[in-house]
Amino acid sequence: MTPERDLALRTLTEAWLGLHGLAPDGDIVIARDEVLRPGRPGLLDIVAHVGDRRVHMVVGLRGVADEPHFLRSGEEAALGLLDDDEGLAVCTDAVRDAEHAGLLLATVRGVEARPGPVAVLRDDDDATVLNCGDRGDLLVFPWLSAMPRPDVDLMVALDEFGFNHVAAPLARWVWEGADLGVVQEPLADRSSGWALALTSLRDFYASGGLPEAAGGDFGAEARALGTMTARMHVALDSAFDRQHEPVVGWLDDAEATIAASDASLLQAPGVTELVKWLRESESRLPVIRTHGDFHLGRTARTDQGWVVSDCAPGGVVAPGSTVRPRTPLGDVADLLWSMHRASTVVAAERDPAGRLGLAALGHAWEMRNRRAFVTGYLSTPGIGGLVGPDRTLVRRLLSFLELARSVREGSVQVF
Amino acid sequence: MSSPPIPVSSNESAFDPSVRWFQHAVFYEVLIRGYHDANNDGTGDLRGLREKLDYMEWLGIDCIWMLPFYPSPFRDGGYDISDFFNVHPDYGSIGDLVAFLEDAHRRGIRVIADLVMNHTSDEHPWFVESRSSRDNAKADWYVWNDDDQKWPDARVVFTDVERSNWTWDDTRQQYYWHRFYHHQPDLNYDNPEVADTMIDLVRFWLDLGFDGFRLDAVPYLYQRDGTSGEHLPETHAFIRRIRKQIDADYPGRILLAEANGWPSDVADYFGDGDECHLCFHFPLMPRLFMAVRREQRYPITEILAQTPVIDDACQWAIFLRNHDELTLEQVSDEERDYLIAEYAKDPRMKRHMGIGRRLAPLLDNDRRTAELLYALILSLPGSPVIYYGDELLMGDNIYLGDRDSVRTPMQWSPDRNGGFSKADFAQLYLPPLMDPVYGFSALNVEAQLRNQGSFLHWLRRMLTERRALPVMGVGAMEVLPCANPSVLAYMRSGEVADILTGSTSTGPSVSPAVDGALDWGHSTVLARTVPAGNESEDDDAVHRQQAVLCVHNLSRFAQPAELALAKWAGSTPYEVLGRVPFPVISEEPYAVTLPPYGFLWFDLVLEERLPPE
Repeated sequence: MTPERDLALRTLTEAWLGLHGLAPDGDIVIARDEVLRPGRPGLLDIVAHVGDRRVHMVVGLRGVADEPHFLRSGEEAALGLLDDDEGLAVCTDAVRDAEHAGLLLATVRGVEARPGPVAVLRDDDDATVLNCGDRGDLLVFPWLSAMPRPDVDLMVALDEFGFNHVAAPLARWVWEGADLGVVQEPLADRSSGWALALTSLRDFYASGGLPEAAGGDFGAEARALGTMTARMHVALDSAFDRQHEPVVGWLDDAEATIAASDASLLQAPGVTELVKWLRESESRLPVIRTHGDFHLGRTARTDQGWVVSDCAPGGVVAPGSTVRPRTPLGDVADLLWSMHRASTVVAAERDPAGRLGLAALGHAWEMRNRRAFVTGYLSTPGIGGLVGPDRTLVRRLLSFLELARSVREGSVQVF
Repeated sequence: MSSPPIPVSSNESAFDPSVRWFQHAVFYEVLIRGYHDANNDGTGDLRGLREKLDYMEWLGIDCIWMLPFYPSPFRDGGYDISDFFNVHPDYGSIGDLVAFLEDAHRRGIRVIADLVMNHTSDEHPWFVESRSSRDNAKADWYVWNDDDQKWPDARVVFTDVERSNWTWDDTRQQYYWHRFYHHQPDLNYDNPEVADTMIDLVRFWLDLGFDGFRLDAVPYLYQRDGTSGEHLPETHAFIRRIRKQIDADYPGRILLAEANGWPSDVADYFGDGDECHLCFHFPLMPRLFMAVRREQRYPITEILAQTPVIDDACQWAIFLRNHDELTLEQVSDEERDYLIAEYAKDPRMKRHMGIGRRLAPLLDNDRRTAELLYALILSLPGSPVIYYGDELLMGDNIYLGDRDSVRTPMQWSPDRNGGFSKADFAQLYLPPLMDPVYGFSALNVEAQLRNQGSFLHWLRRMLTERRALPVMGVGAMEVLPCANPSVLAYMRSGEVADILTGSTSTGPSVSPAVDGALDWGHSTVLARTVPAGNESEDDDAVHRQQAVLCVHNLSRFAQPAELALAKWAGSTPYEVLGRVPFPVISEEPYAVTLPPYGFLWFDLVLEERLPPE
């Protein structure tokens, strides 16, 4: 790489960091300069060391007079200029441009590019996720880790082991062992589980009565979601190693998490008795690779049913990026907590001052759908081997795990 | 108070002469005895039906589907037939029927009949003879057996009133087969005489002027060991035989199959374009109601995703309600329980495996939801079928037996008997509705004609607008992704032909879609738009692409939606009812806001088609 080019790429990198509200906290060292697609429009893939992190950006190249196709109007995605063998190019962040994003998807997939719609599903420090219509979903990771991403590993494993409720990965884009991005198969007509739950809650809060009698009853969906979750765990059990651990060990971790947030919760009515009962259990139950942060927003409803729309984080990721196995009930507890959160969010929307007394309705909605979800989960063939036969233990474990989950977000519920 | 006259238009240009007319038609299901009573004997009749053709023409329907008019002891609403080649004397004569058909055709309205092929009444002379002995001329015209153990896999359809498909006959000392009521013995199609007679029957009514048939209970014609007795290859072979006759001697006439099954199974009744022209899409109907209750689109989009692509020359028939119960056969047990809990809270509302209610009571008389559901069936792929009275949002009477709850007299005016008949009240075949909400004194055609804001006027307007949008019938459909689960948006698109006529008029403004052929400043030319290929050789036609964006809010709350319409960037969406231009579509997500249960149809017009300023 010539010094001029190196300078140019470092300048582009600094501009990219600026777009993300970041200033370089160290020297920028270009580690990868790969022309993905020559010509105009073209694509350039850059990885740069910035301090102790590695940033990954895809630069879209256009002729000076060419019109961009920014995904959001007014969004500043320009990075600068680059003079290469094909002349002067205007550089933009490729994942913020519909045409460049389509080209990138085709390049990663190794297929011919074709036009189509592009919509931003997610754009944060973890990933930019673009819905490219029937061409698929494109995920680009802006920050690289030293190892393969656990969420991509999870997605690939689920697909390989016959789990039908995930958009299959069509291409995994890797460089020197690090995941640069993924293309997943298209999912037609999706709505997030969160949006569906909120729709049900709004209807129920407006109509009152019993949740199963409300028109927007979520019970059937919750049950189907439970079934899907169980199938996910059965697939993960097949894909990764299973171990067994004493239940008591999980209590220690959960108690530590709760204590770190608010130790008084451990003294709340019912909690002490719950912990005591669980500690007296001598059970050993399986621990497997789990989703790690399974909530309604990580699921989506499509015409073919429920899917896991977001595999991040891909497990319980401990410091050092090792993935720890845990009881699958941890994912279940996460989802149940998510239902509680949904009910409180919509209640706050509808009644910010808390005058309508929606808490009782919210609780009824939660109970109905928690029961439906857990029924769907526990009645799925194969799950019994992962959660054990003792339903009382399952129920109590879920309560405690959910309490531990809730303190991570600052929202507490005590049963 | 006299009712306002129904304007009679010269509707010649509305009669689509093409053989594929049914793909863009609106059907209107009529119960003859409930429609209008001309001779004031308490039962509707053919002369009464004919007297109301002005109304039907005004409403804008294209084809009448007549429920059975044959002689019958009326133990199943006329579907128990005792003479296939005649007209029930209560309805009139064959002469009355022919006069009605001719009058309908003059108005550009086609008429199809219900053809009840599977069974007859046990009072039919054929059955009377057949049961009399084991060796008479008609002995083998029905399905007889010494025991009732044969074909155990064939389900009982009316499980709430029949325990078996076999019934013992004391006269013949044998069991006879019936898939429906015990007084409706099944014909034996393995007997060539039966099959030939049915072909004669088809030709008989087509020669008289009918435009086709609805094939009632067609899946059940044959029985075979080890099968369910439904959808057998022999049944399809027989339908192909009928279709061959029609194609050869009666082009433009149609067959509409009543086959209640999963779309992929029902699609078999289209054959390779050599069986039925249309099939009812039964599974869609309960899912429309479910989607509205759940306020999410997935019940609809799921079933559409499972609906196979059909031959270009075929069409689905879609509907909200009909003369039968709102059938829940094609939903899961859980979904059935849900729909019954939502829509049939009173046990008296349940009928067989469904709900015996009309559209308006199902929707708690909510006009907004009714408009939304009609907007759906008028824009989803298929030819809509409207049940008589639902254009007024008529109610029902769940205290009447069987399916009579939804077969009460049409309500024409606030006068005696709702203007249906001048007979004594006690003579009426069924009592008209008289409750404060749905009773005829408040809810009737006369009152709604007088009120421009009525549901009747609204529906008429919708049918008029739909006629100018042939893609609603025959166009491709693309469901548009939307993050909001309560919004169902899709694009209907395809090639259409604008047919220009030479007359001038000061009538309503012409759709901007055809302005390319008009001189805006000086004259107005009446035109009609048909599916491309439906125009005749003599027509002066201009082909173009038509695209209609349909957006529906299934929620009781106002909803936002952002739609990816970049594929149509550069088009100006014209809202169909108001012709108001909306912002031009760009590559960015297109924001739409919908009121509760609201819908919007947009005719997408490319810039070069816009009128000069």
